[in-house]
Amino acid sequence: MQKMDSVVSQSHGKPVRWSKKTRHNFWLGMAFLAPWSIGFLLFTMYPMGASLIYSFSEYHLRAPLKWIGLTNYINLFQDKLFYTALGNTAYMVVIGVPLTLLLSFFCAILLNLKVPGQSIYRVIYYLPSIVPTIASTMLWLWILNPSSGLMNTLLGLFGIQGPNWLKDPLWAKPSLILLALWGMGGTIIIYLSGLQDVPLSLIEAAQLDGASWWQRLIHITIPMVSPITLFNLITGVIGMFQYFAQAYVFGNTAGSIGSPLNSTLFYSVYLYQTGFLFLKMGYASAMAWILFFIILGCTILLFRVSNRYTYYSG
Amino acid sequence: MLIKRFSTLVTVMIVIALLAACAPAATQAPDTGGAQPPASGPEKLRVWIEWGDNPAQLQGLFDKYTEKTGIKVEVNAPVEIDKILAALSGSEPPDVIVLSGGDQIKSLAKENVVLQLNDIINSSGIDLNDIFPAPMIQCKQGDKIWCLPWGTDIYALFWNKDLFEDAGLDPNTPPKTMEELVEFADKLTKVDDKGNLIQVGFIPDFSWSHTDLYVRMFGGFWYNDDGTQVTLDSQPMIDALKWQQQFYTKYGVDNVLKFTSALGEYMSPDQGFYAGKIAMMVDGEWQVGPNFISKFKPELNYGVTPFPPPASHPERANTGVVQGTVAFIPAGVKDKEAAGKLFAWMMSPEIIAEEMYANSNLPTSRKASQDPRFKQIKNFDIFINLMASPNATGAITTPINQELSNELGLIEEKVLHAGEEPEPLLKEAQSKFAPMLEEALKGK
Repeated sequence: MQKMDSVVSQSHGKPVRWSKKTRHNFWLGMAFLAPWSIGFLLFTMYPMGASLIYSFSEYHLRAPLKWIGLTNYINLFQDKLFYTALGNTAYMVVIGVPLTLLLSFFCAILLNLKVPGQSIYRVIYYLPSIVPTIASTMLWLWILNPSSGLMNTLLGLFGIQGPNWLKDPLWAKPSLILLALWGMGGTIIIYLSGLQDVPLSLIEAAQLDGASWWQRLIHITIPMVSPITLFNLITGVIGMFQYFAQAYVFGNTAGSIGSPLNSTLFYSVYLYQTGFLFLKMGYASAMAWILFFIILGCTILLFRVSNRYTYYSG
Repeated sequence: MLIKRFSTLVTVMIVIALLAACAPAATQAPDTGGAQPPASGPEKLRVWIEWGDNPAQLQGLFDKYTEKTGIKVEVNAPVEIDKILAALSGSEPPDVIVLSGGDQIKSLAKENVVLQLNDIINSSGIDLNDIFPAPMIQCKQGDKIWCLPWGTDIYALFWNKDLFEDAGLDPNTPPKTMEELVEFADKLTKVDDKGNLIQVGFIPDFSWSHTDLYVRMFGGFWYNDDGTQVTLDSQPMIDALKWQQQFYTKYGVDNVLKFTSALGEYMSPDQGFYAGKIAMMVDGEWQVGPNFISKFKPELNYGVTPFPPPASHPERANTGVVQGTVAFIPAGVKDKEAAGKLFAWMMSPEIIAEEMYANSNLPTSRKASQDPRFKQIKNFDIFINLMASPNATGAITTPINQELSNELGLIEEKVLHAGEEPEPLLKEAQSKFAPMLEEALKGK
């Protein structure tokens, strides 16, 4: 596509006869692009298009599609569990994501301090994010075990009686947020690279003007890393809307999918349950499309709002 | 990174779409017996098994079919349900599928992916009279037979004799009624100085829900007998949930939840009953086999007995709900005759006896249950007798089973773990599922 654009722009919009070599290059370029393009069309565009059609249909495994118009969408908006799932997911997005950003930024500042053993600390903070999701979830289920787990044992040392992290619907989502915080190494690394891009000249100038550490943080560091914050925010929000694996393992361990009391029934978990356990693929497709538009909407909104708060130095 | 995150969403869509994309014939699937001309017979048959702790043992079993017929059988176990669904909607499904339970079979039948077995049963000489009637319930829908049970489970009451003795109870006398069970449970429950539970007599939903058994003891179920009506708000359902609820409210919901959260893994010496923290539990026949109690806690001094009936209904003694593995043939199988022959071989008493002995599961064939090897397993006869009892019944299943079970699970959680009243919850569910079942059965 790019190749063709460049050819067209060279001709200033007027049709020109391509030389044999240009034609050859064009087809050669296309041939190189083909594996990706075919894969994209076959495994991304076609399934997306198909799922859009299914979302307006009653889908059976071995029967022709039955077009039912907006029924799936109408039913969805009357489905209590849809709102439960949406609410649970919103909780993670609204509380989990900002908390992750804040803590990652704080950790990145600490890891940016020039102290002995700096690289060791960096490795330690990054390590959890390379532990496979399922393994780390299982590990946390042990840590959060209300009676014998590390967390409540530690809290007990300070005379605090820890909650039932796994089976109390009030604490299930905070437990999952804790789990997410433990694995925030990737976000920290991105922040760390952003911090290292903050021009020393600005900081030194501010220092000379007598700005305190706090003032330098608020007026220089935070604005300078704002594009990184935006990136982390958007990827974090998108990731959280699709939150699945940890919740699936957690729910199944606490009882069944969504346990305790549907407090871990997140959007993607409910989507999976609807499609693969209740065999309502059309309904699940409608859910997938609604999620797609919610994510798209949030991303656009974040981009719009961010214009005012993001500073691009380049 | 952004693209990666987006791709997860796209993947979900892709999976859904691919399921459908596989539906029309044509596409992939390299080598199966079905590709062979029927005259020469299949070269290879494929069996997929949803559970399968020991794939090598399963392959070994099916190798015997190869020895007998020369037809290779490729066993794939364990296989997750998502893969099974994808295969069922494709053009080359495996020849026989074994599911862990019969709860989904009627939803699959409604999706037209299950072959009705009546003809195969008639032509291949499978003797239905040899199969215990209770496990057949999950496979039958009117006259239609969608699957056959292949080894099943039934639950009984296990009690810890040492803990009984410590509590001043006769270690050799388990409770004879549900009321007595509650009394015993109280005596067997201990708290420490701070009020924390350190031992509990009985937890009704340990290690998972047993509402099906309790509701049968109260004389009902959540469907009527032929599975044409939802009876979620019936009195037996309310009674069964209330009976369970008392074990939580009496000792404090939070206390019990905290206690159960701290119990060890199901397959470990720390499992609540093995570790002597729970004095009585409802569990299945596999516990008495070589892979559970005798593996993790061989010294455990325990007894097993059928779950007791309510005092007012002694005639409900030996009630049990049989559930478990079912085998079926996918509707899309190319060579139905070859699949049917393999299926009939699987259902022969000798093969059932061999497989179920290897896994300490209940043989569904009467002849197989007479196999002397089962007598060598201590207490196994209790379960076989329970399955053969006239009060044994199967779990009634319908095409809306998955959704209803899911809702019932949530109601149980609300009643047991959040102290809610069962009646309004059951009524609400009744009004949701009654029309849903009617609609689902209309379509069939």
